[in-house]
Amino acid sequence: MQLTRTIVPGCLRLCSAAQRASGRQLVRRGRVALSTVAGEVATEQQQQQPKQQKQKQQQKQQQGGGGKKGERLVTPKSEDFSRWYLDVVRECQLADYGPVRGTMVIRPYGYALWEGVQSHLDKAFKETGHQNAYFPQLIPYSFLAKEAEHVEGFAPELALVTKGGGKDLEEPLVVRPTSETIVNHMFAQWVQSYRDLPLLLNQWANVHRWEMRTRPFVRTLEFLWQEGHTAHATPEEAEEETIRMLRVYEDFACNVAAMPVIAGRKSRIESFAGANCTYTIEAMMGDRKALQAGTSHNLGDNFAKAFGTRYLDEAGQLQYVHQSSWGVSTRMVGGIIMTHGDDAGLRLPPRMAPIQVVIVPIIKKEADAEGVMAAVQGLESALKAAGVRVLLDATTDKTPGWKFNQYEMKGVPVRVEVGPRDVEQNACVVARRDVPGKEGKQFGVPMEAAAFVAHVQGLLEEVQASLLAQAREFRDANIVDVSSYEELQAAVAEGKWARGPWAGSDDDERRVKEETSATLRCFPFEQPQHSGVCFLTGAPAKEVALFAKAY
Amino acid sequence: MAAPEEQMAALSVADGAPAAAAEGGKPKKEKKPKADKPKQQQGGEGKKKETKLGLTASKEGDFGDWYSQVVVESEMISYYDVSGCYILRPYSFAIWDEIKNWFDARIKELGVQNAYFPLFITEDVLMTEKEHVEGFAPEVAWVTKSGSSELDRPIAIRPTSETVMYPYYAQWIRSHRDLPLRLNQWTNVVRWEFKHPTPFIRSREFLWQEGHTVFATKEEADTEVYQILDLYRRVYEELLAVPVCKGMKSSKEKFAGALYTTSVEAFIPTSGRGVQGATSHCLGQNFSKMFGIEFETEEKTRQHAWQNSWGLTTRTIGVMVMTHGDDKGVVIPPRVAQIQVVVIPIPNSKLGEEAVKAMLDRADAIAADLKAAGVRVTVDRRDNYTPGWKYNFWELRGVPLRLELGPRDMDSGVAMLARRDNGGKQSCAWGELAAAVPKLLEQQQAEMYAKARAEFDSCIERVTTWDDFMAALERKHMALAPWCDTEESEEEVKRRPPCLAIPLATYLPLLFMCDTEESEEEVKRRSATKDAMGAKTLCIPLEQPDLPEGTPCFVTGAPAKCWALWGRSY
Repeated sequence: MQLTRTIVPGCLRLCSAAQRASGRQLVRRGRVALSTVAGEVATEQQQQQPKQQKQKQQQKQQQGGGGKKGERLVTPKSEDFSRWYLDVVRECQLADYGPVRGTMVIRPYGYALWEGVQSHLDKAFKETGHQNAYFPQLIPYSFLAKEAEHVEGFAPELALVTKGGGKDLEEPLVVRPTSETIVNHMFAQWVQSYRDLPLLLNQWANVHRWEMRTRPFVRTLEFLWQEGHTAHATPEEAEEETIRMLRVYEDFACNVAAMPVIAGRKSRIESFAGANCTYTIEAMMGDRKALQAGTSHNLGDNFAKAFGTRYLDEAGQLQYVHQSSWGVSTRMVGGIIMTHGDDAGLRLPPRMAPIQVVIVPIIKKEADAEGVMAAVQGLESALKAAGVRVLLDATTDKTPGWKFNQYEMKGVPVRVEVGPRDVEQNACVVARRDVPGKEGKQFGVPMEAAAFVAHVQGLLEEVQASLLAQAREFRDANIVDVSSYEELQAAVAEGKWARGPWAGSDDDERRVKEETSATLRCFPFEQPQHSGVCFLTGAPAKEVALFAKAY
Repeated sequence: MAAPEEQMAALSVADGAPAAAAEGGKPKKEKKPKADKPKQQQGGEGKKKETKLGLTASKEGDFGDWYSQVVVESEMISYYDVSGCYILRPYSFAIWDEIKNWFDARIKELGVQNAYFPLFITEDVLMTEKEHVEGFAPEVAWVTKSGSSELDRPIAIRPTSETVMYPYYAQWIRSHRDLPLRLNQWTNVVRWEFKHPTPFIRSREFLWQEGHTVFATKEEADTEVYQILDLYRRVYEELLAVPVCKGMKSSKEKFAGALYTTSVEAFIPTSGRGVQGATSHCLGQNFSKMFGIEFETEEKTRQHAWQNSWGLTTRTIGVMVMTHGDDKGVVIPPRVAQIQVVVIPIPNSKLGEEAVKAMLDRADAIAADLKAAGVRVTVDRRDNYTPGWKYNFWELRGVPLRLELGPRDMDSGVAMLARRDNGGKQSCAWGELAAAVPKLLEQQQAEMYAKARAEFDSCIERVTTWDDFMAALERKHMALAPWCDTEESEEEVKRRPPCLAIPLATYLPLLFMCDTEESEEEVKRRSATKDAMGAKTLCIPLEQPDLPEGTPCFVTGAPAKCWALWGRSY
């Protein structure tokens, strides 16, 4: 099979070189390749060691090192954002590095966050009339080649299976990077008449893209996602669906993940390979970089033409279907971490948090144990009955202080402390994660079940709202309206987002990227008032575009 | 965690599955599995737009053909250019979703957490455990290229995840406080087999859950093995209305790396074959010793952990189809049906526009009532199909209840309820539907199970001699026989009837080794004689009848140790 396209400069060569190299060499090259991602290399190194023994030793060393630093388990976010992120991912046991470079093992706490994303979105999809299905992971290369732009965009990133069951395959099979091609191959068979439309499907699956600069959750060689694929009779319906699903994402991001996003349209350069138009939600991370958190594509009839997906309309005429596809991935988990986290670690929005409330009994004397335990168990079951995700940590090998730190790092929104004196007064201490220190503590919260549950539920709502407000405030304070290229350069140099009227060409856009490393994130749906003069070219501009450095 | 040997030794059902299954042939368009056979037009009232419906094969007459038709025509499965890979269409995926939701909630109650380990495995990691891997190696699919560049070392796609997961377990587990560690993942796996693929039952890619748990003591591990096994039984019996037998695998049939393997075994009376429904293994300390999964006990000593693994696959759906389906199509038990009730308005040509509208409005109102009562209901409002065609359409898809609403029903304020499983009909006043339908669905679920259970039980013959054993197999039954529980005697059973027993496992690795066309032909040739393939132990049922002391083994005549369930199997 002839593979077209030149590869991304340097990257793949480096990759295969790295793979040829062995042992230490490999690690050294890995460092070169990944030097921009601080911290990752060390763990990379650890994973590349084939022997578990060595891994163990290294980990012990790491743990030892962590202990010496004192109580703090993660590098403060304010000190080094990149290292903070990797520390949080490791220490909160969200993910580990996989055996193949660029892959990750999603640990239960991280996976529970993904399950939160899944359950909310799956419900929203079903409410909007979509059904789940499952398409095979292995796709004949020839399918991809049918849509020219699509294959051009994806060819460099494809993983190809050429051997199976000890034999060479007739035709290489692609490990799906996305499923438009196989979906269309089937749609062409399933769709016959206008009565079969709209066809609204979704699948939850893993996909692979051979990425070079990987980062847990944010960019990995394998990631989990959902991909929606729909077919419609008219271009208008396809467009409506494309926007509808972007709005579903926007709603989820804001109202569940407490992640304020800017919804808008991608530029031609940044659009999906094979789409007429791509829409996106863009979020600002704690380091003020942009994260594309979800995309929805209007595919027009591009794939329909390549695959012959046609239907008989009411007049008996054969017509091509018009399609959309849309996806949100485990990257969303990275977005949640980087939007809300602080120096102490994670801060999870209550609607997403696998543990919404942690109860820590404070027992200093054996004599107090019985009373305190009875009280905390009462609180636990009251919360459970009310549908609150609660954890009672009654383990005895760790001190309450250690637990406070631990759950703070893990971002549990609300902590309840109960000691002997609290039991006496039938009131407890409740601390919220989003407000640090004493200010976030409430004393004398009644322990009577109904009142306690109502209090905690109210507090969870408050934390949810406050995280969203904080993130929105932070974002808005870091967007600069620009009217000249110099202003954009200055804003981007400060790490901020720049927003200004834009009428530049594709080449102009590339130039901005090369010179500032900021990319055109989107043309926001909600357009601010503007001068109508392109900040770069001075030509009349209809729209304001948003530029930022991005993940 | 179906053991590789089980996977290999198992047989293919797809007597009539699409021919494109043969590897090496040019990929063919497999739009319809039986495109060459003329299709019988059923219920086609001659309307031009109506597409043909129905099955040409009968379940009793040609089971293999029937099965491959029914899964396609009911829109559960679509075939695809890559042989052995299928599309799970919404209609079948919804069943998997039901199974998944139910099982996931139950294991979380037990304290199991979900996680995700990568699909890609380096050669080194895959080969960590030689014996374990040997079984899977011939089935592995390899990624050898990224973009246009060759990888220096190929990367395997997981056939199962033990070797990926356990090195992490060794890292994560330090002390007894880290135990138990109970993880599960819902994933796809790929096993590049050359046997005749069969939708759901045997495919090169399938979906499953694999649970991998670690305990400090054997007792805890033992307890979990049976807890999970019982959940598997409930998936089959309570959700899918498929009776199963819980049992222990013989030492020959158990998972290679396991201390012992338990399973639930289903049986397809039509084909006379057992199907391994799911397995729950106690791995003992075998893997923890190989992967160094150790923990510090409370007494500060180091000890190897005890492990289990357990898996349930999309095979469940295939077993359900085989068990309940009939010549009209699939029959789906109410609890897992995506659509439990279809409402079909039956306007006739005499009805005026207003009367038709009133009927459609009534249909919607009934659907709304049922929905409010928690019933999954749809109204078939299509005006380009006749009611008769619609009956066939929904019967083919196995919707448990059809609610008919005709002109006379409109007059008397009732609706007709027709059951898919037994054709039973009853009339019900509109006002009572919301209460009656959920009850009827539950009753249907129970009766489907009872019927299948009675059939299952009638297919078990208790035998004590070799001749009776053979006679039972002749009658396409299972045989419950006193057995001395030795590997030799199980071998003996495979050897004795000359036409039986050529375990695929013995030549598949060979095929892998020699890689010749001849060997491939050999596979085909032997597969073609699969009706003659031998019986093996399905399991040693956990519930044992009395075994009087001195009862001789039906094979060897030595004193029997247990009753074992034997049969041909998939």
